[in-house]
Amino acid sequence: MLEIDSVEGGYGSVQILNGVTLKVARGQMVALLGGNGTGKSTLLKAISGLLKPTGGTITFDGQRIDGLRPDLIVRRGLVQVTQGKEAYPAMTVEENLRLGAFVRRDRAGVRRTLDRVFEYFPVLRERRGQLAATLSGGQLQMLCIGRGLMSEPKMILLDEPSAALAPQIVLDIFRIIGRICRDGMTLLMVEQNVRMALLLAEYGYVIKDGVIHIEGPAEALIGDDNVRLSYLGGTVADRDRGLGLH
Amino acid sequence: MQYFLDLVIVGLSIGIVYGLVALSISLVYSGLDIVHFAHGEIYMLGAFLGLVVFQFVGAGPGYPLVLLGSMVLTGFVGVAIERLFYRRLTRAGGGYTFAGMGMIICSFGMSIVLQNVAFLIWGPKALPFPVPFGMPIEIGDIALPRSYLWIIIAAVVLMTGLHLFLKKTRLGLAVRAVAHNKEIAYLMGINVPLMISLVFGIACALAAAAGVLIGPINYVQVLMGIGILIKAFAAAVVGGFGNLPGAVVGGLLVGVTESLGAGYVSGNYKDIYAFLLLILVLMLRPSGIFGVDARVKA
Repeated sequence: MLEIDSVEGGYGSVQILNGVTLKVARGQMVALLGGNGTGKSTLLKAISGLLKPTGGTITFDGQRIDGLRPDLIVRRGLVQVTQGKEAYPAMTVEENLRLGAFVRRDRAGVRRTLDRVFEYFPVLRERRGQLAATLSGGQLQMLCIGRGLMSEPKMILLDEPSAALAPQIVLDIFRIIGRICRDGMTLLMVEQNVRMALLLAEYGYVIKDGVIHIEGPAEALIGDDNVRLSYLGGTVADRDRGLGLH
Repeated sequence: MQYFLDLVIVGLSIGIVYGLVALSISLVYSGLDIVHFAHGEIYMLGAFLGLVVFQFVGAGPGYPLVLLGSMVLTGFVGVAIERLFYRRLTRAGGGYTFAGMGMIICSFGMSIVLQNVAFLIWGPKALPFPVPFGMPIEIGDIALPRSYLWIIIAAVVLMTGLHLFLKKTRLGLAVRAVAHNKEIAYLMGINVPLMISLVFGIACALAAAAGVLIGPINYVQVLMGIGILIKAFAAAVVGGFGNLPGAVVGGLLVGVTESLGAGYVSGNYKDIYAFLLLILVLMLRPSGIFGVDARVKA
């Protein structure tokens, strides 16, 4: 569904992506892992169109999308779910969700999708009239995932859904992400919480210095010594704290 | 007492024109992060284009048509200015959010360019805007000139329209999204460049409306934009810069203060009162009356 072939790019003269290649098949959940400053977010921006790649190709659903304007990529059914802090604070929960459905014209369909989102996240239904500024961190993350689903995309890109959240809330959110995937969504998830991401995803890529460093099926990566040493932490203390990369 | 009421009515109708210009300046600022110093000239252009439309339509019932025609024409002029000149600059400066000083200088330059263009087309003379409004309406002892009534009604309709557009429509929601964060708006599938044009066009249309509304009271002339720009900035800052309802309230306050000051103290210092008010507000409440956290906009 999404094929990224030796993509290069960066900001000004600073090149961050040095030829990233990865693939996501239809209906699959793939995790993209890596620490700070490895190029994860830059790659997401390149896919969603906020950053023009300087080399390589990005193909979605059989068509090249690299260099396309971001709103046109959304219209093709590839949506980036932002981190929770990127919800619009001065808008209500419902306005945020309706904004997610901006590209759609069918009112009845939008209402159906809204109901489905409320089914995934009942707390959003309770708070639909509240300003997003009043939500907790976990609720904001739910709002952003819901907002991403509102356009009925074919595939979503998740930007660190666990960022800055308490472990219990991360667990809740990952459970719902798993459900969304089982309901037929294709997902590429960027995560720092490596253990959680690999438990959920089928396949994983580890990015380092702007190239794919290691890749493989999720179970293999969890067992991989390199991944364990670099990202999962070797000590019992780390494991008990449930930390991935820190 | 009657004198006082007369002064307040005059103040309110002039003030609502200030408010309209302040509103459009605030709209450009909150939507595009541009402090637009050429907005007085957009107002001037609106008045002249209104005059042009007026000569086509003629007197009689055409005044709303004149208003609308000028708004549409000036709106498109605004869109063209933004596309041709400002967009290159803002793009080079890292997008609309960090436009900064280059943009300020450019809008000053644009103000001079527009003045000279208007000078070349319409000349230096002050032109009358002879709209026959008919006799003043008398309510009790007060004679209310119809032109003032027109101003207040038209301005309130326009402001309400803008409010409903921003709060109730799908496009208005998108405009607010773009105002708050352009990258995230892109990720919502919003055509951000188009929305930027839309915001700028609407702001220019509102300034043009102000120009057309003030036309029948004052003359239409090339240098009419400077005075109103300063007053409108004062109004916008009094209300809280970037805050849309604040701009309207600020405009009304500036208008009434000016009118009362001119009526009771001295007309010679008419332009001072607005700034006394500005200083007072800034001393008591530096962020303006409605000014809150600058990061929560729209």
